Amino acid sequence: MFPGIYDFHWDAGHIIFLGIFYTVLVIVVSTIAIAMRRAILDFRGERAEALRWHADFEDLPDRWRRCRHELTGEVASRVCPNAFDCRHCTEHPKFVAARTPSTLAATHGAVVAGFAVPADRLYHRGHTWVRQDDYGVLTIGLDDFGAHLLGTPDEIRLPRIGSHVVTNGTGWRAKKNGVAVRILAPIDGEVVDVGGPDKGWYLKVRPDNPPDTRHLLTVTEAKLWMLRELERLQTSVATEGVGAALADGGLPVENLSEAIPADRRDAVMGMMFLNA
Amino acid sequence: MATEQKPKSRFGMVIDLDRCNGCGACAAACAVENNVPPAHPTATDRTGLTWMRVYRADNRRPFPDNRSVYFPVSCQHCGNHTPCMAVCPQNAVDINPETGVVSQIPVRCLGCRYCMAACPFHARYFNWFDPKWPHEMENALNPDVSVRMRGVVEKCNFCHSRWQAAVARAAANGNHDIDPADYVPACVEACPEKAMTFGNLDDPKSEVARQSKAPIVFRLLARLNTDPKVYYRSDRDWVRRLGDTDVAQGESEVSRG
Amino acid sequence: MDNSFISRGIRRCSTPKFLAWLAPWAVLLGLGVFAIGLCLIKGLNQTNMDNRFAFGLWIFLDLTVIALGAGAFFTGFLLYILRREELRAVINSAVVIGFICYSGAVLILAVDVGQPLRAWFTFWHPNVHSMLTEVTFCITCYLGILAIEYAPIVLKNRQLRDVPSFLLFEHQLHKVMPLFAAVGTFLSFFHQGSLGGLYGVLQGRPFAFRDGFAIWPSTFFLFILSAIATGPAFVLLTTWMVSKISGKQLVRHSVFALLAQISGWLLIAYVGLKSLDTLVWLNVTAPRSGVSAIRFYGWQPFASWMLVVEIVVLGLLPALIFLSPSRRRSTPWLITASLLACGGVAVNRFVMTIQTLAVPTLRFEPFMLYFPSWQEIAAFVFVIAYGVILYSLSFRYLTLFPQERELQQQ
Repeated sequence: MFPGIYDFHWDAGHIIFLGIFYTVLVIVVSTIAIAMRRAILDFRGERAEALRWHADFEDLPDRWRRCRHELTGEVASRVCPNAFDCRHCTEHPKFVAARTPSTLAATHGAVVAGFAVPADRLYHRGHTWVRQDDYGVLTIGLDDFGAHLLGTPDEIRLPRIGSHVVTNGTGWRAKKNGVAVRILAPIDGEVVDVGGPDKGWYLKVRPDNPPDTRHLLTVTEAKLWMLRELERLQTSVATEGVGAALADGGLPVENLSEAIPADRRDAVMGMMFLNA
Repeated sequence: MATEQKPKSRFGMVIDLDRCNGCGACAAACAVENNVPPAHPTATDRTGLTWMRVYRADNRRPFPDNRSVYFPVSCQHCGNHTPCMAVCPQNAVDINPETGVVSQIPVRCLGCRYCMAACPFHARYFNWFDPKWPHEMENALNPDVSVRMRGVVEKCNFCHSRWQAAVARAAANGNHDIDPADYVPACVEACPEKAMTFGNLDDPKSEVARQSKAPIVFRLLARLNTDPKVYYRSDRDWVRRLGDTDVAQGESEVSRG
Repeated sequence: MDNSFISRGIRRCSTPKFLAWLAPWAVLLGLGVFAIGLCLIKGLNQTNMDNRFAFGLWIFLDLTVIALGAGAFFTGFLLYILRREELRAVINSAVVIGFICYSGAVLILAVDVGQPLRAWFTFWHPNVHSMLTEVTFCITCYLGILAIEYAPIVLKNRQLRDVPSFLLFEHQLHKVMPLFAAVGTFLSFFHQGSLGGLYGVLQGRPFAFRDGFAIWPSTFFLFILSAIATGPAFVLLTTWMVSKISGKQLVRHSVFALLAQISGWLLIAYVGLKSLDTLVWLNVTAPRSGVSAIRFYGWQPFASWMLVVEIVVLGLLPALIFLSPSRRRSTPWLITASLLACGGVAVNRFVMTIQTLAVPTLRFEPFMLYFPSWQEIAAFVFVIAYGVILYSLSFRYLTLFPQERELQQQ
């Protein structure tokens, strides 16, 4: 194995054989070392949340990763390549620029299939919303659909005041009927106050910079999206052969989470809150 | 694998099959000399240990023309692309550059038995059992030969310890080369029929070199081109043909010695 | 009970049912541990191997299992190097199968050698000219690579991915996976070949000895080709078996068809070269050693029918099935062909290991047979039980088939 050990010779056989062996060893060990080092750097750079979302997004089926412009009919079919982060999308500005005033004229709120979609806020695909209340502070809450789905959570884990949330990272965690879900944060910022289901909002955050909200859905988009979400929920529950209360087109029941068959709650909640 | 350079001398032997009567004294002497343990009670002829196996073959003729022959087969000490040495993954097989003798180094052996698969002469044996001697017999072990542990391969090394003793004696007398009379393997010494001749094949004056050149001398499986250093001698054609490679079925009734 | 560990949206049987499935395998595993213990403590006299059958059931099955495990490296090669994205559907499963095959084979090898504690000797003072040295180095390195390839699959488990550092490491590992796939391909190429070389270089065994190219006998190349030809077939077969046992569709049929097509082309190339090699061996190589090779087949029960079965029934036939577009659409045909192809590689490994030792070289040695002892069989049952248990756990808690969730909701 090394010069000096029994029967080592500086001949072609030994040099080629051991040369290849050590090359392989060096490649494998150094590659792992590099991967580890990068992982440590990512950890220090607090990229864990962003990567978590990307990993989860990768694992979502294509049907759940539709582009927001498909909702509005601006494009026939498109899978989002940016993990629902339009801020980095090259296509998004083009779609926005192509919009005529009439495309998205309506800006008033509405009740879509029983779910309230107020006009004073922007919506995130993980069923949260962002509203500018006080100057410099954004309020984050669960939208009506999400609130119905979760009902009254059995357990809730909110971030510490002073910690940071990042877009698509974990906003807070909730547990209902034994199903744990991560609610995705719709925007970046420092948590300045925490609420809860009873208060109608969950977090107040102070954005580090003027908030970039290009990735959030406008109320018009949200209304269309809400219909798609209901459809997604219905198909998911209906394929199980149960959940007729939803499938027959009736209004969503007040406590949606109870209407979902117990063995499907985990899958359905994950699907609706974009947890892989 | 030691580099295949031409050894300084090439020790080998000629076995006269017309003299061999199959008594097995060579095998017994070998076992005593080399501390080959007695067979384990559950060992069979397929799992036992011996460095020298005496096979019996016959001419496949009915009585009264039936003739038989005994083949004492030990390691043939191949000199060309030595099959066992070439395959051993960890250099546990060695060719002595002084004598050309192929040696197994048991303490280096992993027991993978690849050499046994490689050996065309089935001359290598594996320690399937822990070596065990009856209590009193342990005192009779040869102190010059180390015993082998379970799980390693062993085989004939032309009584390596006797060569070492001969070298030591030569050195004590201030000689560089050993006295051929000092180096005779146990089997050769023990043969009551004097059927075996041992010596340096490269020494033109030696008896073994002279005998090995006789036209009625042959080697086992010569066409495999491994250049064995054990020669066999017989006046009988059918015996010489038994050394050939062709593995025709039922050519000869065999019983394993 | 363990629902929070099962990937979201994936349905698995209840915990008691799962444990009931594992129980009989655990019993077999225990039996195997007992047999392996006997072999390690009492020695290899517990086997029916002997001085002639220095290799037995274990080496034969090790070679077979390693050939079947080639699906791992070859799928990785097709996916990461040749960019056949369709194969992402089975890569995780292929890696787990590969890991099971290789670790099982290494484990049995460790029992098979007489002095397992000396295994490091091969690394410390290797004979670099021995095929077995090459096999030892490559298999050890490749098992390490397989463990590295397995790691991200484990780290992506639903609970483990909640640990930020695990997920970050998984992410970085995933990025360098093509490099590991390339190194794995290189290593596999050589040890699959060297396993064939193991026998092809045996100058003293005319039944196994083959002419070749440079330092490699023809068996070197044939073993590589047969391994990569049956590897995808084995991936297909195992995926189908898991699908049947779990009652779920795991991949789209197009993945099966692609695997079958790859297997088919490689198999037809293998059958051609194997036939050519056999002709050269019968007419040139063996006669040069003074053997009329056709007489090898005079020994019962391994008569010339073995040759026909190996090359035609278990080689050409599955290749033709795989290459027929209409047959490829039918799962039963694909499974039949996969079984034949995997059987073919097993028969080839059997011939090279067992038949080589059964055929005598000395004219006064008899033809011999051997039947493995229960300890040998039980030790191998251990590997199968270990494989089933590890695979079942992986299938339950890890994402082996990324398409499963999507297919289940259609």
